[in-house]
Formats: sequence, C-alpha cells, structure tokens
Amino acid sequence: MFGKLSLSAIPWSQPIPLITSFIIILILLGVLVLVTVKGWWPYLWREWITSVDHKRIGVMYCLLGVVMLIRGFADAIMMRSQQALAIDAPGYLPPEHYNQVFSAHGTIMILFGAMPLVLGLMNFVVPLQLGVRDVAFPTFNSVGFWLTASAALLVNVSLFVGEFARTGWLPYPPLSETTYSPGVGVDYYLWAVQISGIGTLITGINIVTTVLKMRCHGMSYLRMPIFCWTALASCLLIVAAFPILTATLAMLTLDRYLGWHYFTNTAGGNPMMFVNLVWAWGHPEVYILVLPAFGVFSEIFPTFSGKPLFGYRSMVVATLFICIVSMMVWLHHFFTMGAGAAVNTFFGISSSIIAVGTGVKIYNWIFTMYGGRVRFEVPMLWSMGFIFTFIIGGLTGVLLAVPPADFLTHNSMFLVAHFHNVIIGAVVFAIFAALEYWFPKAFGFRLDGRWGTAAFWFAFVGFWVTFAPLYMLGLGGMTRRLQHINFPEWAPWLYVSAAGVVILILGVISQVLELVLSIRNRDRLRDITGDPWDGRSLEWSTPSPPPFFNFAVMPNVEGEEAYWGIKLRAIETQQLSPEPNYQPIEMPLDSPVGFYTAFFSFVFGFAMIWYIWWLAIAALVAAFAGFVVFAWRDEHEFEVSADEVARADRARREARTAILARLSQQGAAP
Amino acid sequence: MTHLDSDPDRFTATLDDREDHAPGDEPREAAGHWVRNANTGLAFSIVLTAAAFALTIWPVVYGPAIPVALVVLAIGQMGVHLVFFLHITTGPDNTNNVLALAFGILVVFLIVVGSIWIMDHLSYNMMPMDQTMQMQR
Amino acid sequence: MTDTGLPASVAALRRIREDPHRLGHRPHDGREPVQGIGMGTTGPAHKRIIVGYGFWIFLLSDIVMFSCFFAAFAVQRNATAGGPTMAEIVDLPRVAIETTALLLSSYTCMLSFAATNARNVLWTQVFLFLTGLLGLVFVLLEAWEFYDLASRGITPQRSGMLTAFFGLVGLHGVHVTAGGLWLATMMAQVLVKGFRRHIIHRLICFNLFWHALDIVWIGIFTVVYLIGSLA
Repeated sequence: MFGKLSLSAIPWSQPIPLITSFIIILILLGVLVLVTVKGWWPYLWREWITSVDHKRIGVMYCLLGVVMLIRGFADAIMMRSQQALAIDAPGYLPPEHYNQVFSAHGTIMILFGAMPLVLGLMNFVVPLQLGVRDVAFPTFNSVGFWLTASAALLVNVSLFVGEFARTGWLPYPPLSETTYSPGVGVDYYLWAVQISGIGTLITGINIVTTVLKMRCHGMSYLRMPIFCWTALASCLLIVAAFPILTATLAMLTLDRYLGWHYFTNTAGGNPMMFVNLVWAWGHPEVYILVLPAFGVFSEIFPTFSGKPLFGYRSMVVATLFICIVSMMVWLHHFFTMGAGAAVNTFFGISSSIIAVGTGVKIYNWIFTMYGGRVRFEVPMLWSMGFIFTFIIGGLTGVLLAVPPADFLTHNSMFLVAHFHNVIIGAVVFAIFAALEYWFPKAFGFRLDGRWGTAAFWFAFVGFWVTFAPLYMLGLGGMTRRLQHINFPEWAPWLYVSAAGVVILILGVISQVLELVLSIRNRDRLRDITGDPWDGRSLEWSTPSPPPFFNFAVMPNVEGEEAYWGIKLRAIETQQLSPEPNYQPIEMPLDSPVGFYTAFFSFVFGFAMIWYIWWLAIAALVAAFAGFVVFAWRDEHEFEVSADEVARADRARREARTAILARLSQQGAAP
Repeated sequence: MTHLDSDPDRFTATLDDREDHAPGDEPREAAGHWVRNANTGLAFSIVLTAAAFALTIWPVVYGPAIPVALVVLAIGQMGVHLVFFLHITTGPDNTNNVLALAFGILVVFLIVVGSIWIMDHLSYNMMPMDQTMQMQR
Repeated sequence: MTDTGLPASVAALRRIREDPHRLGHRPHDGREPVQGIGMGTTGPAHKRIIVGYGFWIFLLSDIVMFSCFFAAFAVQRNATAGGPTMAEIVDLPRVAIETTALLLSSYTCMLSFAATNARNVLWTQVFLFLTGLLGLVFVLLEAWEFYDLASRGITPQRSGMLTAFFGLVGLHGVHVTAGGLWLATMMAQVLVKGFRRHIIHRLICFNLFWHALDIVWIGIFTVVYLIGSLA
C-alpha cells in the first residue's frame, strides 16, 4: 500500500538528521501557525502564490535560493569541521552520512541555491529593462517557479524521510545503479533534479522569447542593456543544455527502475557514457550561472562609475562567444577518463580559448571604471571583490584546462578550490551585489549599507581564508570528499580553512542582520525617487516598487542606456516629457495552476521514490486534469482602466517633478 | 501616439504583415497556398522515403556507401519537411526562426558527433590487451 | 538617393541582405518588409508570433533531448552482450507502414491548418481526426512491435543495445501518444469554443509539434531501422 515507505524510513538512529529535521519541522509549523493566526492566507494566496507577475515570481525565486543557500552552507560547515576533526581520528560524521552531506551540499548549492537566485534575478529585471509589462508566458513562469520549489521541498524531505544520495552531486554509475545504491537516496536526487530541471527549462524558454520578441519601441538588439544580453545567452544555454540533463537522468532512472542497461557494468551498459552526457550538461550549466553574473556586473560598473559601459559591442560579442564555445569544452571535466591525446588536446585547447571571452569582459569593466567617478557603495564593493577573486579563479581554471596538469590535479582539493573560487567569486558575489542593487526597486526601501559592507568584508576575507589552503592541499596530494585524513601534515591547512568558515558564518549573520534591520528601519531607508543609485537603464524610471503593470505607457527608446538619455533631457529642460495619452491596458490573470501542478509533482516524485505506484498514477492524472481545466478558461486577461493607469503614473510624475525641483535648487541645472 | 496600440496582449484583428512570423505560420496566405505546399512536400517525402527503403532492400550502390546515402536521403527529407511543412524560409520574416534552428542543429551535432568521437576513443583505450593485439595483427 | 532618403548603396545592401536569392516569400501587398525584424525597433511582437516562437524554442530543446538518446544508441549500437543484433529484430514491412502512416498524418495535419486559416470548422475537425487516426495506427503498430519482441525474450533488459533501441523508439512513441492526447483536447476545444485567438495559437503549436515528430522519425527509421538492418 505504501510501497517501500515505513516508519523505519525516519532516521531514528542518527541524531544529527533527526534533531535537525525536528527543528526544521517546528520552525515550519511555527510559520504556518503564525500566518494562519494573523489571517495572512488570503493575501498570500492572492498576491504571491497565484501571482503571475514576473516581479513577484522573481522575489519568490530569490527567497527560495537564499534559504537553500543557508541549508547548503550548513552542509559546508559540517564538511569543513569534519575534516578538521578527523585527522587520524574518526570525526563526528560516519562515512555513509558524510557522503550524503557532500552530495546534498553540491546539489543544493548549485541547483537549488544559485540557479533559483539567478533565475529570479533575470525574471525580475529583464522585463523592466526591456520596457515591457511581463515575460512572454507569465502563467508558465509561475508553473516553472513552483516546480522548482516543489523539487527543493523534495530534497529537504529526504533529510527526515529516507536518505539522500551518497554519490556526490553528480551520481556517477555504477555507484548510482541499484546494485551499489539500493536505497532511495539516488531516487530522491533523480526526481528532485528532474522536476526542477523542467522548471528551469520553462524559465529559459520564457526569457529567450521575451528578449527576442518583446522589447519596447526603439529598443533594437544593440540598445538592450548588457544584462539582457547575458540573460539571453544564459537562457539559450538552458534551452540547449537542460534537455541533456533530462535525458541522462531519465536514462539512469530507467536503469534503476526497470533494470535497463544504459550505464550498468554488465550486459553492454556503458558507465562512461553517463559521465560524458552529464558533463555535456554540466559545463554549460556553470556558464548558465556565470553569464547573468557577468551581466549584473555590467550594470553595476557603469552605474557606480558614472560612465557608460566600455566596449558595448565587444561585450555582446564576448557574451555570444562564451555562449557558443561553452558547448564545446565539456570533456575537460574528465580528461583522466582515458579518451586519449587527440580528444584531450582538442578540448584542452577549446577550454583555454573560452577564457578569451571572459578576458575581454574583465578589461571592459576595468576600462569602464577608468576615468569615471567611482562610488564605493556596497554593490561596487562586491564587484571589485569579484574582479580580484575571479581573475585568480579563472587562472587556476586555465591551468586545469591543460590536460597534463589536470592529470595531477583532477579530483584533488585544487579542483575544489578552483570551482569554489569561480562560483563564489562570480556567482555568489554577483548575487549579493544584485540583491543589494535591486532590493530598493523590489521593495521600496534600501538595505542598510553599513551591515552590507560588513557582510562583504566578512565574505571576501572568509572566502580566501577558507579556500586558499585548499589550493595548497590539492597540490600536496589531498583528494576531494575525504571523510577522514591520514596525513597529519595536512592538518594546519585544514585548521586555517575551518577558521575561514567561522569568518563566513559572521558574513552570513551580517547579511541576515542587514535584512532584518533594514526592514525594521524601512521608513528611514525609503526610496522615494525610484532611482536610488542614479541608474542608467529603464527599470530606474519606474517607482519603487513598480506598479504591477510596470509602465503606464511603453517607453520609446532612442539610444543605448535608455533611461540616462531621458534623465539628462529632463534635467536640462527642467521638466518631464509631456503627460502621455493614457490608454487601458490588458494584463494577464493570476492563476493557481502553477501551485497546483507543483503540488502534484511533489506527490508524484515522492510516490515514485517510495514505489507507491497507485499514488504516482493518481498524482499524474490530477496534474493532467488540472492542466485541462486551466486550458479551458475563457478569460486570460483583465483590463486595467485608463484612469487607474493615469492615477499611478501621475503619482510617479509628481514625485519626479519634486526631485527635479530639488535638484534645480541645488544647482543641478546647466 | 500610435505606438500605444501595439501593446502585445491586445488582440488586433489585423496582424501587421510587415512583422515577422512564427515558424510555420503565414496568416495572410490563402488556403490554396497551404495545400500546394502540403502536396509538394508530401510528394518529395514519399519519393525520398521510398528511395531509402529501396536502397536497403536492393543494394544498387557500393556497399559501404549505403549508410552514407541513407543519411543523405534522411537529411534531404528533413529539409523537405522544414521547408514545406514547417515553412522555414530565408526571408527576413523568418530570420529568428532560422537562427534558432541553426543553433539547435549545432547543439545536436556537438552532442551526437562529440559523444561518438569521445566514446569511440574511450572504448579503444579501454580495450583488453588481447583484443588490442588482435587489431594490430 | 532613393525615395527613403538613403544613399543608393545602403538601399542596395539592404535589399541583398534581406533576401539575395529571393528564396523567401515576397512581402505581401508588394510593400517593403520592415527592417525591424531581428533589429526590432517596432516594439513587442503580436501574441501569435510570441506563442509560436516560444514553442519553436521548446521544440528545439526537445530535439536536443532526442539527440542524447540518439547518441546513446550510436554508442551502444554494438553492445549486444551476446544477444540479438539490430539486423535480427528489424521488421522492414512494419516500419514502412509506420513511416507511411506518420508521413500521411503530417500531411493531414497541414491540411487541417489550411482549413483553420480559412476558418472552416468542419474540415479542420475532419483533418485533425484523420491525423489522430493515422497517429493511432502508428502507435498501435509500434506497440505491437514491442509486444512481439518481448514475447520472443527480446527486451530492453537483455543488452545495452536493446536498451538504447527501446529507449529511443519508445521515447518517440511516448511523444506521439502525448501528441494524440493533445490532439483530442484540441478537437474538443475547437468543437466547444470555435476559432478563438488562443485556440488558433495552440493549433499553431500543435502543428509544429506534430511535424517535428515526423522529422525525428525520419532520423529514427533511417539510423535505427534501415542502417541497423544492413549490418
């Protein structure tokens, strides 16, 4: 009746997951009770859960990502502390548990931490920068988010019902086949990643279509902000690469559930094919993460240097170059698997060439700063930290791209240090910079800059203290994923690294404090102008937060840096452009189909993991029925009256006129 | 200002035919145009399919060239489908569609050819010693 | 200078860049095609185009997924583990009928779309029904093939090559089945709601999907069945 599920699935004999689960369940219940008591459910349902507004969905993605980053960080703390304590000693995590920790750490950080944050940023910012009202497929967007959220829930459920995979974040066969992983751990991984992969693909399709087919008047390709170019490139990669992941995990699922022989050790299966295919996804995946990060910096450097971005066209070319070449380098993740000199040489050269694109970008950012008036606000601090950190990380990457060098450092701590260097240096730093930069736009008040600065310095110093020793350990011969350490000479480095984690913890605490205290002081930090950073792109022309329809009238763009021209003209002429002729607008209707589909996806995934076949079929049927019901609706849009549009826009124009008046008093007029 | 009228969610009965087209779509064409396309496409496809099957059953071509010939016929027929059924053209109204298709073809090529190249090299290098010796004889 | 006020060389370049060999369609009503295509200064596209293009992008992602299964088949083509080879399991007459059925269904699908453009409900439904019928013939033949093989002990659990074979062909069959379900839903929607704007958008998407399935089948019957039967 319940398949493989029984009460023994709960980890009664393992105190750490048991107690952690207990605490998390208590917190969740507490939140649910609070929401119920305060009567927030109608508001949450109406304004957030069923919302198809790209801004709301973007915020929810970012919230999911931040929460999962913290969970992944908890796993990291456990790993560093275990290695520091397990030098000629058992440590406190038995191997079968430690293996789950590092597998969960990688999976959560990449797929449920960084990806949702990047997708959320793209979702929130791209339509605003393009001057349109929403993405191409708003309801589909909601479906994509909720699928990712339900997959994240599935991964976390593995903590207290069953176990997680012990294979590492990429479940290589034959270890991940049923012969050697008979438990439910790999199944949790497979279904969670499959479901979230579908969600990600949905966002990819959405943003490609939005960027290519929905830009406001006058915004040709070469007038788009670079963030939109990198969003386009990243989402093209999503569309190209995520199907590979879907296919590969499906093959592994078929092997495990039906006894097929894609990747088995016997009967003609080929385990190496898994490695090949999964890295054909895996490499574009890291570029999916890093391209929007580069886009964020391409917005921040000009804004905080007071200068246009240097070399716009070369940035575009570099972005597209990276996009295409990233699909031609994947073998560098398995140079040592034995493809031989010819194959290794080709991929080694292509991996070195791809660095050229990034090099162009870094020079452009530096030249953007040169000659500008640089303001060291928090987003700019993260950007400068990125330049320093990422250059070094990228250099170690080019070192690894040389096959003979890689033969010595493959799967050592050198590799671990490299990929954390680039991911943290680029993606994590960009995320924090972007959150600080666009937070006022999303919520109407700024974050407290002092705690933000503290968070940056803790993160920057903490990162280097944690990961620099790992480079040394890698060159000293330490491999990755060790549960116990047999070489006491590695101890000093491991202790330094553990100390670095303490600094990072302080950084996380600073971030949380920044958020909490800013919310408490939000009236003092209110963003009245809608343009707190003296921005250059269209999102800064809207109020903070923007009305749900973004723009009362769609802008007409006449050059690069659309908003900068509008702003300068207003300051010169000391007046806003004439009041437009307000028309009624059609906006998409909210819909519960996203939440509904995701709920049944979660049930389906859980049922498949535990072999509860009747429940899986029921969930599929319910999901399909939901789709049909949704497809049958007659009304897709509702009309916003011209009056309502006019009211919102007149308020905005009043605020902006007041700012102009204040500026002219201060002598800003030419 | 006229640009307010082309708010994308608004249903306009007249699709501005100066815009570009979704793949496979050309809303201003008469039904006869579609039927002619369909008939031509079907005719070509039948010929190419029959040729492929015939080549397998009656090998009139040099043996090792047959797989190549079959692949060429397949690519030809895929092209026929793309042009006649999916209406992919080289006109400016189809540029985005063609570029997306080209990107897709590139990715498919990289995956299929890349995987075959890599896995064949791997299997050669993983071959047991006695088989390698046999290959060298 | 031309009447657009541009130097003749620029106008000439633009004509060439647009369509040097006149392979594409001439602009309707003889007007100049707007240079906004791809350089898009004319604002957001119409919803019909957005929906069609988005689905086109999804289709490309689906083709990429198929290519992974193709790659797996190509890699495991000889991994028969002492079991049957492709040449021993191919039934060419059945494949020929399947191919004909799917090709004809693509044809009837196009005709249904022609009828949709002419806003003729009857013929749309007739051709959609024929499309579904031919698709059903295809799926049933394929299911019969799998059943035949399984009853001879030729299952995907036997060898890597058979796994890859059943996986690739089965994935295509699953897509055709899902397409059939979608087709039934579309027929019901056309029946109940007629040719509303979003119904037509969905029919555009269905067309793209069905034709793409036939394109994938061309790859499958050539590489898996025809080339497989040669060895």
